[in-house]
Amino acid sequence: MNSLTKASTLSAENINVWFGQRQVLSDVNLVFPANKVTALIGPSGCGKSTFIRTLNRMHELIPGAGLAGSVFLDGQDIYGDDFDAVSVRIKIGMVFQKPNPFPTMTIRDNILSGLRLSGRKAGNSDEIVETSLRRASIWNEVKDRLNDQAISLSGGQQQRLCIARSLAMDPQVLLMDEPCSALDPGSTRRIEETIQELSSNMTVVIVTHNMQQAQRVSDQTAFFLADDNTPGAVVEFGATEQIFNGPIDPRTNDYVNGHFG
Amino acid sequence: MSFAPRPAVQPWSRVNTARRVQIFLASSLPLAVTALIVLFGGLNPNVALLGVFLPLQLLAAGYVGFASFGRRGVGDASLIVLVLFFATFVLVLLASVVFSLISQGAQAVSWSFISQNNIYVSNTTSLEYGGVGHAIVGTLLIVGLTTIVTVPLGIAMAIYLTQSQSKTRGLVRTLTQAISGLPSVVAGLFILSMAMTLGWERSGLLGSMALLPLMLPTVARVAEEALRLVPVDLRYAALALGAPNYRAFFQVILPAAKSGLVTSILLGIARIIGETAPLLLTVPINNGTSWNPFSGNIMTLPAYIYGYLSSLFEPSQNRAWGAALVLMTVVAILFSAARFLSRSKSLKTKPTKQKASK
Repeated sequence: MNSLTKASTLSAENINVWFGQRQVLSDVNLVFPANKVTALIGPSGCGKSTFIRTLNRMHELIPGAGLAGSVFLDGQDIYGDDFDAVSVRIKIGMVFQKPNPFPTMTIRDNILSGLRLSGRKAGNSDEIVETSLRRASIWNEVKDRLNDQAISLSGGQQQRLCIARSLAMDPQVLLMDEPCSALDPGSTRRIEETIQELSSNMTVVIVTHNMQQAQRVSDQTAFFLADDNTPGAVVEFGATEQIFNGPIDPRTNDYVNGHFG
Repeated sequence: MSFAPRPAVQPWSRVNTARRVQIFLASSLPLAVTALIVLFGGLNPNVALLGVFLPLQLLAAGYVGFASFGRRGVGDASLIVLVLFFATFVLVLLASVVFSLISQGAQAVSWSFISQNNIYVSNTTSLEYGGVGHAIVGTLLIVGLTTIVTVPLGIAMAIYLTQSQSKTRGLVRTLTQAISGLPSVVAGLFILSMAMTLGWERSGLLGSMALLPLMLPTVARVAEEALRLVPVDLRYAALALGAPNYRAFFQVILPAAKSGLVTSILLGIARIIGETAPLLLTVPINNGTSWNPFSGNIMTLPAYIYGYLSSLFEPSQNRAWGAALVLMTVVAILFSAARFLSRSKSLKTKPTKQKASK
C-alpha cells in the first residue's frame, strides 16, 4: 500500500478569502513540499482554519464564501478546469478539529466509508482496514471489535479512527485542522507519532495552537496574524527551527515565546 | 490491598426529621382541607381543585420552602407544585380518555367484531353479529395509499428545505405551515368539487387525495426537524472524503436521521387516520368488505364510528365505542411496529469496555 502513495507538492499563491464582503485573508503564499510536515500557527481568528479549507476546496461549502488566488497540486490548479471539488478531496484528505466518525457505521465501515462514498470499489477491504488502522496507530486497540459502533470509542480513539478513515483513501496530501485540541496528552502523543510516520508517504499540513506540538512534528512553520480589523496574513514562513529559535519578525518572536495570543 | 465495594450514598438528599414532618403536612393538609370543604360545604369539586386546593398547596409549599431556604426556597417550592399539579391534571385527562374508551369499547370488541363485516346488521342487531373488519381494511387501504404518495413528497420537501441554499425556502416553509391550518372539511370539499367537475365517481381514492394535504405538512415539518438535527460536521466529513453530494446524503445524513424520519411518517399517519369529515364527503360507505380503494364503495373506521354514534340504539352506540377502541389499537400497533423496526443500530450495541492501551 505504501508504495502506491506518491506525495505531492502543494502550493498556494496569492490566496485572498472573503466571507460576504469581509476579507479575512490577504495574499497568502505558501509552499508545502512533498513529504514535509508544515505547521500553521497563530492566534484564534487569524484565518488558519479558513486557509487550510481552501486547500481541499472545503471552503466553498460555506455560504457567502469568496476566494481569489490559486492552489497548485503538483503544478495543476485545483480550482482550474482539470479538477472538480470531488476529485480534489479524494487526493487531499482532511482531519477535522472535532472527531466526526459516522455514528451509524461500525469501525470497519467507517474506514471503508471513504471508498464507498467516493464510489470506488474496495479491493481487499480487510487489508485496507488493517493497514489504515495500523498507520493511525489504533489497530491494537480496535482489532477485536471492528464491528462495534464507531461512537463507542473514546474521543482520542475516534480522532485516530478519523485519521485512519482519511488514510484509507490513500491521499497525497493530508490536512489536519487542530486534530489534537480536544484530546488528552496520551492520545495527542500517539497522533503526533502518527503524523511523523505519515510524512514518509504524504505531505502533511497541520493547524495547531500548541507551540510544542508544532516544534515536535513539523519541518516548516507559517505564522499567521490578523492585526486589528485587517485580514489575516502570513507574518513569517520558514523552517520550524528558525521560526522558533531565531524569528526575523518581532511579532513572531512575541507569539512563539507566549507574549501574546 | 483489597477493594470492597461500598453502597452508593447521596448526601445531598438527606432530610432531617423536622423537615420530613413539614413536608408531610404540607403535602397532605391542603388535600384534606379541600376534601372536607367538598364533602361538607358542598362545593363543586372542580372549582375546589383550582380555587381551594391549588392556592392552599402553593401556600403550604411556599411556607416549607421559606422555612428551609429563605426566600429562594419559595420560588423552588411553588414551581414544583405548579409543575406537578398541571402534569397530573393532563395525565388524568389523557388517562380518563383512554380508560373510558377501553371500558366502553371492550364490551363490543371480540374476534368476530374485528374480523366480520356489517352486511346483515341493522341498528338493533345484537353485538354478537357483525363487526368492523371491512372498516379496518378500508382505513388501512386509504391511509396506506395516502402514505405511499405523501411520504416521498414530504421527505423530499424536507430535503429541499434543509439541504439546498435556495431562496424560495422561506416561501415553501410558510406555505406548508399555512396548509397545516387548513380545516379538514375544506380539504374534503375541495377534492369533492374537483371530482364533480371532472365527472369522477366518489371512491376511496378521492378520500386518499383529500387526506394528502392534511398529512403532508406534518411529515414535511417533522422530517425537516429530523434532518436539521444531523450535525453539519458529518456532511463535511463525508464531502472531505470525496463524496458527491448525493452519496453524502444517502449514505451519511439519511441513516443518521432515520429514526426521526420514521417519527415523521408515524405522526403523519396519526394525523390522518382518525380524520372523519373529508372521508364522509368523498368516500361512499359500504357495509361489505371492499379491497378496492380505486372505485366503488368502501368503509372506513371514522365513517363507521360517525354512523353508529349518531344512532340512538344501544348496540349501535357500543359498536361505535368498539370501533374507536379498534382505531386506537391500530394506531398503537403501527407505532410500536415502526419503532421496533427503526431502532437504530447504535442502541442495540452496548458500548464495549475500553481496553487499556499500551
